[in-house]
Amino acid sequence: MKKIAIYGKGGIGKSTIVSNLSVTLAKKGYKVLQIGCDPKADSTLYVRQGKPLNTVLAVMRTNNKDMKLEDVICTGEAGVICVEAGGPIPGMGCAGRGIITALEKLETLGIYKQYDFDYVFYDVLGDVVCGGFSMPMRKGYADEVYIVTSGENMSIYAAANIASAVQGFKGRGYATLGGFILNERNVKREQEKVEELVQDFESKLVGIIPRCDIIQEAEENKKVYVTYEQEETPCKSSLETLAEALIC
Amino acid sequence: MRQVVGLTSTYSSDEFGVCSALYELGGMVVMHDASGCNSTYTTHDEPRWYDQDSMIFISAISEMEAIMGDDDKFIEDLVQTANELKPRFIALVGAPIPYMMGTDFDAIAQIVEERTGIPSFGFMTNGMQYYPNGISMAMERIVDFYCTEKKETQQNTVNILGATPLDFSINGSVESIQEWLKSNGYTVNCTLAMNCSLEDIQNMSKASINLVVSTGGLKAAKLLESRFGIPYVVGVPYGKKFASKLLEKLKLKKTSLGWDRKQVKKEKHLALIGEAVTSISLACAMEEENDVSVIVLDPLNENNELYRTLDVYVPEEDDVMEQIKSVDGIIADPLYKALCSNKEFYPYAHVAFSGRIFEKDLPNLINTEMKRK
Repeated sequence: MKKIAIYGKGGIGKSTIVSNLSVTLAKKGYKVLQIGCDPKADSTLYVRQGKPLNTVLAVMRTNNKDMKLEDVICTGEAGVICVEAGGPIPGMGCAGRGIITALEKLETLGIYKQYDFDYVFYDVLGDVVCGGFSMPMRKGYADEVYIVTSGENMSIYAAANIASAVQGFKGRGYATLGGFILNERNVKREQEKVEELVQDFESKLVGIIPRCDIIQEAEENKKVYVTYEQEETPCKSSLETLAEALIC
Repeated sequence: MRQVVGLTSTYSSDEFGVCSALYELGGMVVMHDASGCNSTYTTHDEPRWYDQDSMIFISAISEMEAIMGDDDKFIEDLVQTANELKPRFIALVGAPIPYMMGTDFDAIAQIVEERTGIPSFGFMTNGMQYYPNGISMAMERIVDFYCTEKKETQQNTVNILGATPLDFSINGSVESIQEWLKSNGYTVNCTLAMNCSLEDIQNMSKASINLVVSTGGLKAAKLLESRFGIPYVVGVPYGKKFASKLLEKLKLKKTSLGWDRKQVKKEKHLALIGEAVTSISLACAMEEENDVSVIVLDPLNENNELYRTLDVYVPEEDDVMEQIKSVDGIIADPLYKALCSNKEFYPYAHVAFSGRIFEKDLPNLINTEMKRK
């Protein structure tokens, strides 16, 4: 089992990329788990194709004692197992602590043992803003961290922050930095800027996803792009290449 | 009203359970929390504090360190202090603030161990669970780390697991359990964790059987059973007759509870409030020597694997009040008397509940007559 955490600036396309990777790998016959680590609980929305899913924290709040794995999982497209950590009431509580509690609960319930997963994706909210959001990269969770960025300055700045956090955890036995993923927004010198970032962290650029309007169209139709798009396109091909890069 | 303690006290927390379990083992135990209310451990919950040295510390985390997640200062303090004191091990104990911050104690312990060369452990306590969870966590971890080698089994040799002053005070009860075992032909190998050393723990695998005297010792007993095949019996030898029955169970050399789970309600029906293993043992001892039934109300954790037919988990003060409506009398720590104004009340102090207030009144009931005159 390989566990991968995907980080990046809010709105940069992490959930879209993770969902497409999950479905791509599942279609190849791998057993895949996708865990949304965001209080909004929208990571797996399109993998589930509209099927409802109770978040881990919501079920814990009402029925912690008798809670079962089946209460918080949903089988999505191509057999991808979907989980959403969830979060506190908006504006209240502590979302970071919520992520820790939800991931610990999933482990206690035996999610990794009960299902023989080949790949686990943690789709993590925005930046590493507090201790809770570093949980998916801690020992026993993700093996590798990948950071999604565009060439926009704010996105690069966020990606650098996350990469610094991963490096700062050296010595703790945490996940290592696997590399960066460029999700193109068609800004000037985009690839060049991201490659500079990659060099700064002595890392690698593992994938480039070209801008594609059909992704939005697929999501409008509550579908994952790689399933919705029937033609072979550069974008589809790049997701396929990225999936191959992550599993090797 | 749910989740409110309005009339009684609260039990010692999980972080204090870790401290109590590790107190005598020569380690440096550091509660990572603001200084202040943690002194409850030293002033109330640790009867050994003034007579027996131990390296128990509070990190005194500040508001800004908490906000900024400044683990580095904590790590530097740990390394510097450990280098000066040279403890046998280092235990980092969680509290509410680091729990909410998501402090990764295992990771910090790993860094400290690398820098000092001293075995270091992180305990993810949070101050919101009760002391048996902390004792359990500490005993399991320390046994897991130090008792790894199978030593030649010595027949009629027993380890006592789960002994801390939080359940047994320092009124001679633990020594009496040891004496009772010796007088019945057993050699006491290790008493986890009173009058005990790390070397004793390393030799725990010599024992032919384990005696679990509190819920805090159960996980360590299960670990020793799975690792070395050492069976365990659960119970405390309170009273003469129950002690004899417990002895018969030990002689069988099979994992079992020290009591029968079937219970019959008698005309005189009492409730005993407290920790499951000690309370069920005491209830059985009273039933054996008197025409009475005694149900145990366990306010700490739901221990269904231990309960007899009438015993019940009472997580809330309201649950206790509901349960005691149907009994003729209550045996409990004196601080429970406020709930029992219209019932016969028999005080039986519990350090984990009332600290040292009633310590001198706590009787040693190990292998003693329990017949009420």
